[in-house]
Formats: sequence, C-alpha cells, structure tokens
Amino acid sequence: MKKIISLLFILNISVSAAQTPSGEWILERIDENWVSGNKIYVTNMVIHGRRGADRTIQSKSWIQGSEKSFTEYLSPAREKGTKMLKLEDQLWTYTPSTDRTIQISGHMLRQSVMGSDLSYEDMMEDTELKELYDAEVTGEDTVISRPCWVVELTAKTSDVAYYSRKMWVDKERFVVLRAYLYAKSGKLLKTTEIKNVIRVQGRWVPNVIVFKDALKEGEGTEFIIESVEFDVDIPDYIFTKAALRR
Amino acid sequence: MIIPKLAFQNILGAGLRTWLNVIVLSFAYVAIIALNGIYGGMQEQAVQAQIEVEYGGGQFWQGQYDPYDPFSFQDAHGALPPQLQNWIEEGNATPVLIRQATIYPNGRLRTILLKGINPDQTVLNIPSHFLADEKDVTPALIGSRMAKSTGLELGDYVTVRWRDKNGTFDAQDVEIVQIMNTSVQTVDNNQIWVPLNDLQTMTQMEGEATIVVVDRNFQNREPIEGWTFQSLDVLLKDLMDMVKSKTIGGSIIYIVLLMLAILAIFDTQVLSIFKRRKEMGTLMALGMTRVKVIELFTVEGAVHGVLAVLVAVIYGTPLLVYLATQGFPLPASTDSYGFAIGEKLFPIYSAQLIFGTIILVMTVTTIVSYLPTRKISKLKPTDALKGKLT
Amino acid sequence: MIRFLIKGLIRDRSRSLFPVLTVMIGVMLTVVLQTWFRGVESEGVQIAASFDTGHVKIMSQAYADEYDQIPNDLAFIGVHDLMQDLKKDFPDMIWLPRIKFGGLIDIPDENGETRAQSSVMGFGVDLLSSDSPEKRILNLENAVVRGRLPEKRDEILLSDEMAQQLGVEIGETATLIGSTMYGSMATYNFTVVGTIRFGITAMDRGSMIADLSDIQTALDMDDAAGEILGLFPDLFFYDRRANGIKDQFNAAHQNPEDEFSPVMLTLKEQAGFGEMLDLIKSASNIGISIFVVVMSIVLWNAGLIGSIRRYGEIGVRLAVGENKNHLYRSMIIESLCIGFFGTVLGTAVGIAIAFYLQETGIDISSMMQDATMVMSDVMRARITPGSFVIGFVPGLLATLLGTSISGIGIYKRQTSRLMKELEV
Repeated sequence: MKKIISLLFILNISVSAAQTPSGEWILERIDENWVSGNKIYVTNMVIHGRRGADRTIQSKSWIQGSEKSFTEYLSPAREKGTKMLKLEDQLWTYTPSTDRTIQISGHMLRQSVMGSDLSYEDMMEDTELKELYDAEVTGEDTVISRPCWVVELTAKTSDVAYYSRKMWVDKERFVVLRAYLYAKSGKLLKTTEIKNVIRVQGRWVPNVIVFKDALKEGEGTEFIIESVEFDVDIPDYIFTKAALRR
Repeated sequence: MIIPKLAFQNILGAGLRTWLNVIVLSFAYVAIIALNGIYGGMQEQAVQAQIEVEYGGGQFWQGQYDPYDPFSFQDAHGALPPQLQNWIEEGNATPVLIRQATIYPNGRLRTILLKGINPDQTVLNIPSHFLADEKDVTPALIGSRMAKSTGLELGDYVTVRWRDKNGTFDAQDVEIVQIMNTSVQTVDNNQIWVPLNDLQTMTQMEGEATIVVVDRNFQNREPIEGWTFQSLDVLLKDLMDMVKSKTIGGSIIYIVLLMLAILAIFDTQVLSIFKRRKEMGTLMALGMTRVKVIELFTVEGAVHGVLAVLVAVIYGTPLLVYLATQGFPLPASTDSYGFAIGEKLFPIYSAQLIFGTIILVMTVTTIVSYLPTRKISKLKPTDALKGKLT
Repeated sequence: MIRFLIKGLIRDRSRSLFPVLTVMIGVMLTVVLQTWFRGVESEGVQIAASFDTGHVKIMSQAYADEYDQIPNDLAFIGVHDLMQDLKKDFPDMIWLPRIKFGGLIDIPDENGETRAQSSVMGFGVDLLSSDSPEKRILNLENAVVRGRLPEKRDEILLSDEMAQQLGVEIGETATLIGSTMYGSMATYNFTVVGTIRFGITAMDRGSMIADLSDIQTALDMDDAAGEILGLFPDLFFYDRRANGIKDQFNAAHQNPEDEFSPVMLTLKEQAGFGEMLDLIKSASNIGISIFVVVMSIVLWNAGLIGSIRRYGEIGVRLAVGENKNHLYRSMIIESLCIGFFGTVLGTAVGIAIAFYLQETGIDISSMMQDATMVMSDVMRARITPGSFVIGFVPGLLATLLGTSISGIGIYKRQTSRLMKELEV
C-alpha cells in the first residue's frame, strides 16, 4: 500500500511536472519555501576585490517574513558590532564606534553593501515577488543538473527597480536556482546563480549564491549560508531601533 | 602764443631726432594698448566661452537643483511652467534635463551625468545638431576630455544605465556621434549629451527639465514659481574673482609699460637740456624769463606726446584692428582646465583703455618733460651762455 | 685704449651717466616685466597645484586611471615607506600624502539621531605634524572664518556656508558617513573646531578638512593615501625638473604588472593642465616679446640720438686728424661699455626688485574687497634663468646697434662742414 501511495505521489509530481503550472503558483511555492515564517541565519559574504585578496564578512540575521529584519555583523573586527535594522521600507544602521543610529535613505540606498555587488536597495527588496510582478512560465531548462521552470516576471507597478526578471525555478524544490534581472530596455543588469542547495528543517535552502553586476567586469559577490534555523521565536524588541544600541 | 610756436619750430627743426623720439614714443602707446588688450582678451575670452557654451544669459534652476550637491540631482526635475515654455518656443531659452547615470566603459563602472538638450537649439554654442540624426540608437555627444578619460571614440557604443522617474533601472547603448572640442570643462567632464526628447522618454519625464538656459540677448527675467533664476553675476562669480585678481596683476604690467614711455621721453628731455644750455642762455639773454624757458621745454616734451599719438594712430589703428580680428594663434588647446580660451587669442581694447592710455601717457610725458627743466630755474644766463650747467 | 675710453666716459656725465642710467632703467623694466609675466603664468595653476595636481603627483596606477571618480578603493598602500624613500631621493621637494573622499556629514541631536545632513567633499591632509607644510600650502590660517585650526585628533574644519546650513556650532559633533577602502560603510565622529572659506565656490559649498591619520582610521585606509602631491619648495612649477623627478621615480617604483604600484604624473600630464600651461606661457611670451622689441627700440633710439648729438665732437676729432675707423671703433667700444654696464646694473637692480616681488609679492587682498579668493591673494614675480639674460637684448644689442648705425655717419662727414658746425 505504502508503495502505491509513494508511487502515486511520484506520479502526481510527474503529472504536475508535465502540466505547466501558472507563474503565480510557482511564486507562491517559492515564498512558502523561503520567505514565510521566522528564521535566523548566519552568512558569509565573500567579496572578490581588485586587490586580489578576498574579504569575508560574517553576519547573523533575524528575519520575520519579508517586512522585518535585523542584522549584526560578526567579523571582520572592523565591522563587528555594526547592526542594521530594516522595517518595511526603512533601513537604519548603527555603529558602536560612533554610537550613532543613522537612517539610510535616498541615494545612500544605492550604495554598495560592504563593497559587494549588492546595494542596500537590493537587500531591501525582499518583498514578495508576486505582489510586484506578473509571472508567466515560458519554458523548461536544467540548472545544476536540476530540472527547472523558466519563469518570466514583468513588473505590475512602475516603481520597481528591475522592470523584468527571468528565473529558473527548481521544479520540485521551488528554489530559484538562477535569476536574471533586466532593465526596461531588456538589457541584462544583474545575475544571481545558486551553486548548491541543502535541506534544512524540511525546506530547501540555497547555501552558495553568487550575485553579479552583469555590466561590470569581475567575479561578483558570493553569499554562503553557514547555518539557518526556521520557525524560531524572535522577541519583538529585536525589531526596534532601541535594539540597535543594545 | 610764442611758446607753442617756438616749441613746434624747435621740434620740427630737430628733424630726424624728433621723429625718432616720436616714433619710439608711439611704440609705447601701441604696446601699452596691445599688451593690455591681450591681457583683457585672455580674460574676456574665458568669460565669453563660459557664457556661450554653458551659462547663456543666465539660467533658471528647478527648485531642487544644486550643481554642487550630486545628491540633489535625483529630485531635480520638473515640468516646464508656461512662461518658460513660451520662451523656449520663441527660441529665447532652451531646457536641459540633467540625470545621473552609470556607464561601463571597458567593463568598469563610472558615474556620469546625462544631459538632454534640444538638437536644434541655438541658445548655447554646443554642437547639439549632431544629435538630430534619426537613428535606431540614441545619439550621444561628448567632450574631448571625456573621450580621453573614458577611451571612447567616435562611433563607439557605450552602455548607459539610469533610473526612470520611479526608480526603475533601465539601460541601453548610446552611440557616440560627435566628440566636441571645448575648452569649457564644465560641459565636458564626466557627462554625455543626448537629445532632450530621448532622455525625457528614457526617464519618463516628458516635458520636464532641470535647468532652462536663457538666451544672451533676451532681457526678460521675470520670476517663475518653483524655479530660481541664476544671473550671470552669480554664475560667473568664481571666474570674475579670478579675472579681478588677474586685473590687479595686469596693472603692474601697465605701470611697467608706462615707465617705458617715461624712459623714452625722459632720456630725450634730459639730454636736450644738457645739450641746449647755450640755447637757453641765449634765450634768457634775449630777455625770456626763466619761467618762459621752462614752459618752452615742457611744451616741447608734451608736443612729442601729441605727435606720438598722431603717429600711433596712423600705423597703430590698422595693426591693432588686425590683431583684434585675426587674433594671435596659440598652441592648439583641445582641452584646458578651468580657464576657457580658444585656439586663438583675440585682444580686446576698450575705449577706456585707449583714451585712458593716451591721456595718461600725455600727462606723464608733460610731467617728465617738466622735471628736468627745473634745473633751468637755477641757471645764470651767463653760465648758460658759456655752456655751464650746475 | 679701453681704459682711456672709460675714463672719458666717467668724466663726461652726458656721455656716461645718462646713457648708462637709461640703459639700466630700460633693462630693469624688462627684467621686472619678464619675471612678473612668469609669475602670472604660475599663478594660473597655483590653486590647482595646491589643491589637486601638485607639481608632480603619485597615485596607484589603477587610481590614476579612474582619477575623476576618486576611487579610494584603488588607493596606494605603503605610504610610510614610500614617504621615507621620497624624502631621501628628493629631499628638496615638499611631499604631501592626501586622501580625497566623498560622503555625508551628519549632525546628531541629543538622542544621537540625525538632526541635519549634507553631502560633503573631504580632504584628509597632514594637519597635526609640527613640520607639516599643509597649513601654508592650503593657506588655511587665512581661510578660517570661525573657530580655529585642528590641534588634536578627530578635529575638523567645515566650509562656513555648509556649517551655517547645517546649523552646526563650533565644538559640536559631526559624523562622517563615508565608504571604507573596501567599500563598507564607514562612520566616524569628529568635532567641528573651525569653519573655512577659500573663495572657490566648489570648495566653499560643502567641504571638510581633516587630519590624514584620522581619515585613514575612519576609512580603513591604514598606511594608504589616494594621492601624494609633490611641490617645489618655492611653489613654482619647473617643467623639466618635474619630468626628471618623474622619470627617476617611475624607473625605481613603477611596475606595469601591478596596477597598485605607484606611478608619478607631472602637473602637465594631468587633466588638461599641459595645454593650459602652454597656453598661458605662449600668451605671456607674446607679451614679453612685444615689450622687449619696444624697449629695444627705445634704447636703440637712445644710442642713436646719443651719437647724433656727438657729431660736433666727431668733427673736432676728425679735424685733429683722427682716423675714421679708429673713431668708429672707439664709439662702438664706448657704447659696448655703456650697454654692458647699464645692462649688468639694470639686471642686478631688476633681479633685486623681482626677488622682492617673488619672495614677498604684492598682497592684493585689500584691493579685492568683495572677492574672497583666499588662495591667490598674493601676486608674485618669478625669476627664471631667462631673467638674467633677457636684459642684454635691449640693453647691449640695441644700444650697440643704435651707435653703429649712427656712427656710419662718421664716414660720410667732411671735415670742412664739421669745422663750420663747430663755430655755432
């Protein structure tokens, strides 16, 4: 019996694989897998500088849905203790050496984060994609030996940074394995590639991500997720400005 | 009337000597005017170039715009008020939309300014007509200095990335259709000129601009809400300060030149008094008072000045006019910092310079002619007749 | 014979004193004008040299390529050792390591939150070393509007205009938000101790000046600097010497393989300054040439007239049987003596005046009431090797020419007519 059920299950999947799902449905699955709920993770950001030596910046983030996040930098020594708080579309940073809480706004959001290929704005843009984009599945492909849906997203509203996106979504795990971000003219601006995926608490987690500015030469920035915990209780005070100076 | 008559007779009688002195003194006039003209021309050219290619008769700035604060550019755009719109349609003003953008020459990121200008505008002396060609890609105009620092050449394509009104990224290639040689670096350095319409469409800022440049000959300057007028006095302040300090430096040169004129006449006067003792003695013996003798010699000196003016006018006018119209060729400068000077230097002579110089040199000539004659007042006719001068 | 002629010259003032004086004054004026023009030439680039280009400038090769963008991530590391080398190899030069940077100045309220904020263009220069020439080079003492210059660490100067807009008072804290050499956001607290105004709009709108070591700390640029400016001690630019220093330095330090190895550029190689210098130089060459020509004519004329006046004397000498050639020669030698002494004296006096104008200059600040250009409030002359020889053109050559032309008259004269003239 069990065998049949599992067989059915497999069949079911293959059926849904054969029928092309809607783009919106895929976006929901992506959110379910990664965005929803609370999580805490430790990441290493590897920046390939022009001077040859790579820099690794370690940080720990507390995240609630897509609206609230709190990040504390752990290393290197110079960045240690620097904190960042994001509440909806506002971002504050705190540095212990100056004991100053400064809101990052306007043009500052466009600055690179710690010298990486990511801007603060890119980091802020964690909001659920299905609110911003119309999605349509346009094909199938294979990325890191995984079968994927190719999903094309077009902005619903005019105030998004990237007018359109193309995403390669793992057909089974609903992890975005590759994403291309385009300008309105159709020119490729940024790329995200996932090198490896691991399974944590029943969710699929990309643990090596490479971000790259497509117009610029260089190796891009690597994001390595060291550890991640899902569905943890995060006390509310973490997401307050007071917590920055704690 | 005997004195001027005598003076003229003496001067003309001296023949060659007089004419040599007069010609030399006339050189001094012409040199003073020419050199100061060059000096003034240098400054005027810098100011003119700035006015012609950048400032026009002044600029209206959209309220948010502050050229010294790059962070202000993001919000510095606005719809053109009807008044400005009218002036633009009449050809009395031209709008410029200024947006920040990023280019990637050779794969490196570089922040620049995109400036949208009407290809058919005539307010600014920028070769914007090169942007008029209908092409599939947006045509772009850059300065030679920008070309040098980015390595871009005529016909090259360069990727430009910008954000539209709502902050959405956009990027496309533009084609460099012209590289302009301008000495005004503020329309060259780190900027790309594109057709205004293209930039408005690209950024979704239809009918908007950042600044409106008013034509040099257009006098209307009524205030417009939301836009602040920047007069030439304000825009040119730095340059004018520079010019002012240079003018003071120029006055040193003027003084030195004046001393040259003094030298030319002083030498003649001192020597003539030294050499004409017997003549003085004779005049005094004939009953001329000392004062009259002094007067005679002073007038002789002054007449030199007058004659020199006449001579200077004869050959100086065509010469100075020629220099002012043809200019002095300078080494080809495609690219100069701060100072904006063309490839030729055109001297400028103001009426003040010309008449001021004439009056000043004549006054000085007269004074200088008088000074050595004071010795005459101590002269005894008997000694003078003997040729003694103590 | 020369001694005899000189004796004659000295005893007859009309033949010696006046011509020598005339030549001397003419030569002196020529020298003063030439040095003044040369001074004005340097003036044109002095602000740029002090603030931006130096007479030579050292950057990393990568930084030099993108110089316009102030790419501090490409700054040169190893300033301390390089400075030691520079001071050893080129001890006469003034070497100024600097960091230029852009960022924000953020003024906190009592809770440490942002009260006012403005973008800023910053300069990290050596302000605190006792022997640092920066205060003089940037003319900081004169630029201070309120407060004082930084005396200890973490003290800064802000543009007066910006300080007023931000509403920041002397003694208050200002936080710099910038970017480290590695691209991280950097924040650093400073105390505003003074406000400045240079009279250069770009500098006065929003600039801050801080000590170099503070900026190195703030921007994580340990032992690094964007640029090292080299200036000649008299602050005049010497093209050939600058090129020599550049060649020597680049041969020793530049490594084409390593984009972070240092490279030296002269002022003329930086952003259009070469063209500008050549331009000003040719304009002033035109000026000096016109002056020398006119002055030569004046002195030539003086020589000519001097000789014409002596036709009487010439007549007597011819009458007493002096050989025409001998007479002509003696007149030429006389004028050579006059021209030579006059020129030497004139050059000496001219150089002395020029030296005063070079070292002390003319303070034009009182003549520039509403203009506030602090940087160039003293106009200076500049003595060049040419200053020592230029006077010989009008002084010696022109005088000589004048005498030789008028002296030709000797050969045309007839003794009988001369005797007649003598009777007058």
